[in-house]
Amino acid sequence: MDRVRRNKGAIVLFMLPATLLFLTIIIIPIFMSGYYSLLDWDGITKGTFVGLQNYIELFTSKSAGFTKTLGNAILLAVLSVFIQLPISLVLALVLAKGIKRERFFVSAFFVPVLISTVVIGQLWTKIYNPEYGIINVVLQNLGLESWCRTWLGDQNTALFAVFVPILWQYVGYHMLLLYAGIKSVDPVLREAAKIDGATEWETSWHVVIPMIKPVIRMCVIFAVVGSLKAFDLIYVLTNGGPAHASEVPSTLMVNMIFGRGRYGFGSAIAIMIIFLCFFFAIMIKKFFKVEEE
Amino acid sequence: MKKKLLSVLLGLVMTTGMLTGCGGSGSQDSKAEDGKTVLKMWTIATESDSFHNAYVKAIEDYETAHPDVKIEMESFENQSYKTKLKSAVAANELPDIFYTWGGGFSKSFVESGKVLALDDYYGDYKAELPQQALNNATYDGKLYGTTYTTPVSMMFYNKAMFEEQGLKAPETWDELKAVCQKFIDAGITPIGMSVKDTWVLAMTHDALTLKSAGAEKTAAALTKDGQSYNDADFLASAEKLQELIDMGAFTDGATGLSNDEAAATFTGGKSAMFITGSWLGGQIFNDAENAENYDVVPVPVCSDNAKATDFMGGAIDTLMVNADTADQDAAATAAFEIARSVSKYAYLDGAGIAAWAKDYDDSGVNVLTKKIADYTADATSFTIWFDTLMDSEDAGEYLALLQELYSGNIDPQGFAEGMDAQLSK
Repeated sequence: MDRVRRNKGAIVLFMLPATLLFLTIIIIPIFMSGYYSLLDWDGITKGTFVGLQNYIELFTSKSAGFTKTLGNAILLAVLSVFIQLPISLVLALVLAKGIKRERFFVSAFFVPVLISTVVIGQLWTKIYNPEYGIINVVLQNLGLESWCRTWLGDQNTALFAVFVPILWQYVGYHMLLLYAGIKSVDPVLREAAKIDGATEWETSWHVVIPMIKPVIRMCVIFAVVGSLKAFDLIYVLTNGGPAHASEVPSTLMVNMIFGRGRYGFGSAIAIMIIFLCFFFAIMIKKFFKVEEE
Repeated sequence: MKKKLLSVLLGLVMTTGMLTGCGGSGSQDSKAEDGKTVLKMWTIATESDSFHNAYVKAIEDYETAHPDVKIEMESFENQSYKTKLKSAVAANELPDIFYTWGGGFSKSFVESGKVLALDDYYGDYKAELPQQALNNATYDGKLYGTTYTTPVSMMFYNKAMFEEQGLKAPETWDELKAVCQKFIDAGITPIGMSVKDTWVLAMTHDALTLKSAGAEKTAAALTKDGQSYNDADFLASAEKLQELIDMGAFTDGATGLSNDEAAATFTGGKSAMFITGSWLGGQIFNDAENAENYDVVPVPVCSDNAKATDFMGGAIDTLMVNADTADQDAAATAAFEIARSVSKYAYLDGAGIAAWAKDYDDSGVNVLTKKIADYTADATSFTIWFDTLMDSEDAGEYLALLQELYSGNIDPQGFAEGMDAQLSK
């Protein structure tokens, strides 16, 4: 075995398939998108080179509305970190404490992650339906007719109506990550804290949470990057409408490329999404490092 | 040493396997083993599509008439097919015959020189397929495709609900408004509408615009042919749409409804009118409980610029032939003859209005489809739907502006100016 490891040829050979795959389906397309984003191109005929024109339009054109979609995505990221993650954390702490039917609850909270997003989209379309949707029906029965809305069709509510299922769906995902993290904390530490007279809350706050910081960091990165890339549920529920009220960068990108045949402009959006994902991932890592010091 | 050799071999096998896995499939090898010419055809007539049956029968007919040719049809879902077709054109992987949309959608395909011109073959079929139906398959005066159906926008209405209110089908804008008001007063939604699927709203707006500005002016503005969109007639149609919105003529919460949901309010008897393509005729006979309650008329005329017989719509479903096909004659004739049979069978199924001459018994066709066929037989003009007629980029902006107009973010003047700005880019 050691001889194989020392053999440079073998190392190269065994790395080759994975490297090729990684290059052909991730790295090369990113660079190709980067090139396409400098073109005015409809995807079929020959494109013309326009330099940074697409990027300038991204940030200046009001009708394209990219800056607004960026705002929406960042809002979603903020909500994920400050609403979704705390809920996940509380659930994970409670479950990991060892309550009755612990395994059942872990699976139950994880179910939304497993269900196809399109199915979830259809379910929530029914929940939001202005006529027979459960929300409006309940409001009517409570005598709150004036609160009824066309949730997905009203510009003032569409964005939050779309965010709720997104946040709800991935609570279970983060909960599972955190739950696994908490379970791996040595029970001896907890017991020691208890013997020293710490309450349940103090044990969690001063012992468990600091121990699972790496997991929390992962969750924050996933939540932020996931928010920037959010696409499927929005596509199913509103497709970015009405009048761009719930548009995010990825739906705008698909709209531009496949709806309007603007491959160059769409590629520029793709590059921006990639850039922002990297940027935030690095920033979050830095932030947690500072915390540790 | 042996182990090393083995690992080298394994590595090679793995990488070659990966590389050959995604080889392309062109249309070059068109001779099957038994000497038959094999023609590959792509369509969107999937099994759930209303044209599926017509295609299957048409291919059977063609193979019976031409025993030396075999047609291999592959069908794809509409939305994903658009992407597939575009990438196939770019990658030179088109089949011999392919379904596409005429007008702006296929313009770049033709310009890239990958589509066969069919003028030499059209002569044989001229008597059966009117030139007018092929407008959208004609680019720079040359014919590049054939068609089988001429869908048009019509106004469907619920006759029973109209009679209940003592109303008759509106023929002019003023009558339409009066009818809407009467329904609103009676607490009934006059017109079914979906804004989430913006093309439904576009169908209504397209029709109002055509009936306000007339066919020539509309086409000239949308194809950037020396006509500004910022014009009194176009402004008038946007204002009319606004009037209908303001009076509450459309389904409540239309911004959140899909086309299927909106159409269900109409077929379920909850709204009185629905402006959409002729295909709803067949759908009513499938979905509505009392199909005999429904009737259809042309969209009301809004000004002297247009007549009742001017129609929004026309032949857009197009079969084109790959310029690189191995046997051009066989593929071109097949495209025409299959289109002819699809025209017949789809009409008999009630799936579409026949584009080709009818030389067969059509007494079994549903009343609505037949009625539309009679209307279109007298058509003075066909104008293809805005979002197909315009370049895809302009069409995207058009749909976005319509949503803004419907949501009240811009007024009719702003809409006309926005359209003008996009079209004069």
